[in-house]
Amino acid sequence: MIWEVFRQEKPGGYHTHCGNVHAPDAEMAKLFAEVQHGRRKPTNSLWVVPQPEIAEVDAEDTTFGGTTDKSYRWAMTYTGVDASFAEEVAESQREQETADREREEVTAGGNS
Amino acid sequence: MDIETVKERAAPRAFSPKDDMPEEYRKAATRMIQFHANSEIMGAYLERPFIRQAPSLDRKLAFSAKVQDEIGHGQLLYRAAESLGIKTREEMLEELATGDGKFLNCFHYPMEEWVETPMIGFFVDGAAMRRQATLKRSSWEPYAHAMDKVCFEEGFHVKHGEDILRELATGSRAERERLQEAFETWWPRIIQFFGPTDDKSTHHDFASEVGLKQLSNDELRNAFLNAYIPKAEKYGLEIPEEPRIRKRDDGTYRVVEDDLDWDEFFTVAKNDYEGSHVQIGKRHDTQEAVEWVRTVLDEHEQTSMGTAPAAAD
Repeated sequence: MIWEVFRQEKPGGYHTHCGNVHAPDAEMAKLFAEVQHGRRKPTNSLWVVPQPEIAEVDAEDTTFGGTTDKSYRWAMTYTGVDASFAEEVAESQREQETADREREEVTAGGNS
Repeated sequence: MDIETVKERAAPRAFSPKDDMPEEYRKAATRMIQFHANSEIMGAYLERPFIRQAPSLDRKLAFSAKVQDEIGHGQLLYRAAESLGIKTREEMLEELATGDGKFLNCFHYPMEEWVETPMIGFFVDGAAMRRQATLKRSSWEPYAHAMDKVCFEEGFHVKHGEDILRELATGSRAERERLQEAFETWWPRIIQFFGPTDDKSTHHDFASEVGLKQLSNDELRNAFLNAYIPKAEKYGLEIPEEPRIRKRDDGTYRVVEDDLDWDEFFTVAKNDYEGSHVQIGKRHDTQEAVEWVRTVLDEHEQTSMGTAPAAAD
């Protein structure tokens, strides 16, 4: 069986996917994950998940974020007001700008 | 883990469901996160009618997206609260329906006019965001993670709220007058958003010692006033004479607490205010109306168990 592996670098951080291992059971999967994925990169915790248990929906199945103009739900659309008066609002807008830019890059990459 | 160890180890995102946390911590965190989750839901219900009443298509779309976001935040937070093992999501939703679940003071008041929407959309959301940004450093990791996503989305809400405020503040004289009236109605409630002063706050000390919350009521209220009083003034809003707000030499503000109606605040806090019954009742009725959807989903989950993994919430 294949087990997908998610690594958390530091306590309090997110577990992000880092690869998979072949193993007959969860105990062995944890051991292999430790050896293959937790040895060099900083690791605080690993999750191993049986691959058949993972449900997937991808960009071929759906259009993430819809197909119509949804600019109304982005902070940067509201150009008549300025986010800089409050650091947390400005930070949120920066995060949204990054997400929007990355989204466009992915879309552009997918079409090429 | 005993309480002393918890206090020693308290740090941003220090504790997760893997840790054996004492009941006192888990109860305090549940109370705090459940309150937050309930508030997201009740706020969404208050704003929902404005999807229909929005004056333009752009506003309608934005309001609809916002209400959807807030319900999503509620769901995220119930998950974070549930992970403490004190109450299930079903129990918390049930408590909200029966009137046992507590939620933010501002959401106990009716909001009927479009001109009132920036009071929630800008000032209350702005106050909430100030607080939520500090909770990214909460010691309960699932709560802090929920705040990452909530804060990511909230920037849109606050800017959209300010955009409505700007539009009304540069509108006709009649609009500006009604805006000022709405501001005067909502202002004391907004000040009370942060609760009573530190010396009267019941839960602060423990929550702070174990790192669940980062700043005190007073510090947060002050941080809010610092950023939002200039905004109100920028849009020509006159700050009501009461509650009296004094600027200290160091630039921080002191609110004369006795100018605020604390009897009303504590009645609201007990869900006993007239508006509390109305808002809880509205949500209860809506829940009843869509009961069949939950029943169908539950039945489906039961029958598909064993053949497929349970769907995520």
